[in-house]
Amino acid sequence: MQGIAGQRPLLIWVVHLSVAALVLLWTIPTFGLLVSSFRDGDQLSVSGWWTALTATERNIIFRAPASAAQVQDGDQWVIAGNVFEGQTEGEVTAFGFSSKAPAAFAPGQAAEMRRGQVLEVSRNGDFRIASPEEMKGKRGARIFYTSIDPPRFTLENYRNVLFSEGIGRSFINTLTVTIPATIIPILIAAFAAYALAWMQFPGRALLLAVVVGLLVVPLQMSLIPLLRLYTDIGIGKSYIGIWLAHTGFGLPLAIYLLRNYIKGLPKEIIESAKVDGASDFEIFIKIVLPLSFPALASFAIFQFLWTWNDLLVATVFLGNNEEQLVMTGRLRELLGSRGGNWEILTASAFVSIAVPLLVFFSLQRYLVRGLLAGSVK
Amino acid sequence: MEQLLLALVSMAAGVGACVLYFWGTNKILDGIFPARGENAGRNILRANSIRPWLFLGPAIALLTLYLIYPVINSVILSFYGPSGKSYVGTANYSWLISDAGFRESLRNNLLWLFVVPAASTFFGLIAAALTDRISWGNIAKSLIFMPMAISFVGASVIWKFVYDIRGENIEQIGLLNAIVVALGGEPQAWITLPFWNNFFLMVILIWIQTGFAMVILSAALRGIPEETVEAAVLDGANPLQIFMKIKVPQIWGTIAVVWTTITILVLKVFDIVLAMTNGQWGSQVLANYMFDWMFRGLDFGRSATIAIVIMVMVIPIMIWNIREARKDV
Amino acid sequence: MILRFGTTTAAAALAVGLTSMSAQAELVFKPGEDSRFNWESYEALKVNDLSGKTVTVFGPWLGPDKDLVENTMAYFEEATGIDVQYSGSDSFEQQIVIDTQAGSAPDVSIFPQPGLASDLAGKGFLAPLGSDTADWVRDNYAAGQSWVDLGTFKGNDGEEELFGFFYKVDVKSLVWYSPDNFDDAGYDVPQTMEELKALTEQIVADGGTPWCIGLGSGGATGWPGTDWVEDMMLRTQPPEVYDQWVRNEIPFNDPKVVGAIEEFGWFANNEKFVDTPGAVAASDFRDSPKGLFSSPPACYMHRQASFIPSFFPEGTEMGVDADFFYFPAYEGKDLGAPVLGAGTVFALTNDTPEGRALIEFLKSPIAHEVWMAQSGFLTPHKGVNVDAYADDTLKGLGEILLGATTFRFDGSDLMPGAVGAGSFWTGMVDFVGGKPADQVGTEIQASWDAIK
Repeated sequence: MQGIAGQRPLLIWVVHLSVAALVLLWTIPTFGLLVSSFRDGDQLSVSGWWTALTATERNIIFRAPASAAQVQDGDQWVIAGNVFEGQTEGEVTAFGFSSKAPAAFAPGQAAEMRRGQVLEVSRNGDFRIASPEEMKGKRGARIFYTSIDPPRFTLENYRNVLFSEGIGRSFINTLTVTIPATIIPILIAAFAAYALAWMQFPGRALLLAVVVGLLVVPLQMSLIPLLRLYTDIGIGKSYIGIWLAHTGFGLPLAIYLLRNYIKGLPKEIIESAKVDGASDFEIFIKIVLPLSFPALASFAIFQFLWTWNDLLVATVFLGNNEEQLVMTGRLRELLGSRGGNWEILTASAFVSIAVPLLVFFSLQRYLVRGLLAGSVK
Repeated sequence: MEQLLLALVSMAAGVGACVLYFWGTNKILDGIFPARGENAGRNILRANSIRPWLFLGPAIALLTLYLIYPVINSVILSFYGPSGKSYVGTANYSWLISDAGFRESLRNNLLWLFVVPAASTFFGLIAAALTDRISWGNIAKSLIFMPMAISFVGASVIWKFVYDIRGENIEQIGLLNAIVVALGGEPQAWITLPFWNNFFLMVILIWIQTGFAMVILSAALRGIPEETVEAAVLDGANPLQIFMKIKVPQIWGTIAVVWTTITILVLKVFDIVLAMTNGQWGSQVLANYMFDWMFRGLDFGRSATIAIVIMVMVIPIMIWNIREARKDV
Repeated sequence: MILRFGTTTAAAALAVGLTSMSAQAELVFKPGEDSRFNWESYEALKVNDLSGKTVTVFGPWLGPDKDLVENTMAYFEEATGIDVQYSGSDSFEQQIVIDTQAGSAPDVSIFPQPGLASDLAGKGFLAPLGSDTADWVRDNYAAGQSWVDLGTFKGNDGEEELFGFFYKVDVKSLVWYSPDNFDDAGYDVPQTMEELKALTEQIVADGGTPWCIGLGSGGATGWPGTDWVEDMMLRTQPPEVYDQWVRNEIPFNDPKVVGAIEEFGWFANNEKFVDTPGAVAASDFRDSPKGLFSSPPACYMHRQASFIPSFFPEGTEMGVDADFFYFPAYEGKDLGAPVLGAGTVFALTNDTPEGRALIEFLKSPIAHEVWMAQSGFLTPHKGVNVDAYADDTLKGLGEILLGATTFRFDGSDLMPGAVGAGSFWTGMVDFVGGKPADQVGTEIQASWDAIK
């Protein structure tokens, strides 16, 4: 295939460019989230994430210390300090003292405030309020300034998520849910898919149709009857219950996808094995299973992703207690009761994305290598 | 540490029980009907008529319990009132037909069914075909696949940062509006534009599902025997012709599987709609409408009726699949 | 860390967060030490020995609120030896429906709205609290009878009984603003609705934007609009009409209701009055108040309930950077000073002695005072020491609650879920999107008729 493209250098460029465009379109939204997850929570809601990468002009309100901080300097009373409070390096380009005119003065200018007070703000953020008489009041003056801020990032969001109480426990809980909930349905579905693809028995087509029909059953309809059943037979909210639930809900798609793959395996191999006297069990274990490994791996990825990201099934079939709370549930708790903390959400979305991506990257090579040998119909 | 151990033990127990079942029952079957000795032929036949059911047993049991039983339960509930205690005949169905919300959801669902599977499969196919030809294809593939790994909660946050709107004089933090404003346009509240908002929601699902289509289709494309392609090259076919006339027909079965899977997913979609609009501004879909009636309306009869409609919509796909399965035999 | 009312309480909440990490939660205020608290009521709890017993509690509170409730429950645990297992969920409404239907409900559930509790009571999933509790609420809560009425639902036998115990109240009729911005522009806090409307127009004339209004709330988008309409209803009609409206004894498209919706439209549907013209419904209610604190200000006023300071920018100091005033009534209408509020309802979803003991605990002043002294808690309990409120802001909110000539509960919470948490929300979204008020009312009424 390289050869074909090599003959047409223009074409290969078109291919490169279109893939680049596609990748760009698909990653920009996520990239926005990634950038946002390193930003300060309050900045998130006032400026676009793309501005985080450049020095930006911002309008900020700084409250000067109240009158208690004043010192006498000659015949003047003075409050001085720095509007950046030593936190960031910025550059003041304009300032003011009223919300009506927040950028009325240039740095270095003297702004006349009420009662003869004079405010000066210099380019580096140093400010000085001078008053001819002693200042009063518990509320400090507001200084409005426009500044050029260098890009500023924080790890605070990730710290909040990663070091929150109980997150490690939830991680283990999630693994306890996802690993069996991935392996069990694949095992059961592989046997069923083989039976539906290569074994003769009455009602096969009907069974397959039922499987397809069940693909569409809305999960929500099952929750109440099943939980009631669990409660009645004493399983209650337990790991065994959620494994079986994930297995039951994931089975139709697993059977459907695996049957299509297994059906596409070369007929000759299976029939010659049968002629050699191998039983179906032996054929399945020794021939079909190894040949289907890529398909099993790809379904494993999907099932893993679904169970890992699942919140609905986990909240219904598992308790909210320390022993059973999963990652998605824990992250939701972090968001607070009304879910307003976007900065936590952004960071937690990336924390929860990490493991599925790791699984994808580690299994991806099987997808590619295994399928080159196998045949797909 | 103790908890970790407990988790490992319970994992091993769960998976082990499963393995033990398949291995054990087949051993027992082989023990009862040994494929040797004087009755070997008859035993093999008998074993072969039982074995499919051993293979299928757990799957059938689980499907019955987890899906068929709730379906039957829903069918019964759909003839009962809100709390499932009083029989109301077909009242729920006649309510459904006259209900404006239902008609709106049905229209939107058909729109989704028309657009999302087609677009996801199309983009997936393009991505699969193109990434196979370039050196950094695997990296590109992983990046396109990435949305699959994001939970719906995460996805809704991501798209909030795309569709967000601010007042006209304030800096836009939504990417789409920032672009529109930069080009001199007026900011729009994308998810509230009647009718068009459906497409803005669909984009999210397409964005997620393209990765799925790509992975499966890429595998299928790589499975195409080299000889068929080489023959076409010798005949002087250009790459586009090869792709359309040689490759696509050979993976037609896989395309159909991908299409079916995404279609069914679309019928069930509710997380995206729930998180982004909850069906307001005319963007309701059936699955979310059902969810609404179940947990907001607390009317199990009506929600079950809507569920039945969703299940009925899948019948054409079922029939098509039965036909395909018959062809295989 | 969410900054609630002022830095001092933030520190308290932090301390709360730390203490709840230890296995046995320590008490935030040591018994007997602070004279603001009613320690006698705490000592009285010790009579009931519940060592080794457990009570499960399920509610909507997460994050800082969860720490606060656990902190308060710690006094119950310490006094009686019981183990309170609280768990919270932001999809409480779904989960409690599933759990009660499936028979796996917790002992005590905390409902954010009485509507859902009423539905579940009607299906027989709640246990009545008994006439003793009803009498207690009547005698000990300010406007006690109204709290009894709000917690009284029809059981599955058709009998009306007290099922819900109100604990933790929110005041909704509030307008938040920045005192500095008012000073800079020379505006005064309006005392009447007429003044408020004049101020709104004045701000526009001065080139500013008066209001930040955002109805966005993900799946619950539209609810802030219902609060506006309820508040306007109480300011244009007598409370009796409000009650008829909530019970659907007058239709939703009655001219009185339509009038209230249009009053809301006077503010929200005027392009010059709002910070996001054309996108009121799409703006998130959590982001909306931040416009008060931007430079230059995106708006001057924001109408929202007492919980909203949680969503102010970090470092906002209550009473300095932000303050509130009562959403005033019309001087010309003589309807007094109506206050709209809401509250959480405790109910027994599993009838156990431990659950009942918890309800008994909620009657003791100490259960209220401990939370009052932390943050974000208002109570109608007459027997508590109001000095226990953590700061002046809370105290001020409490005064609004007590100064009300008319107190009415959030109407959408009392309507059936399909309306109050469904078509009413949708109707508000449609209304700010340009649909006429009478058409919105007619559609909401149609959805109400459909569930009768």
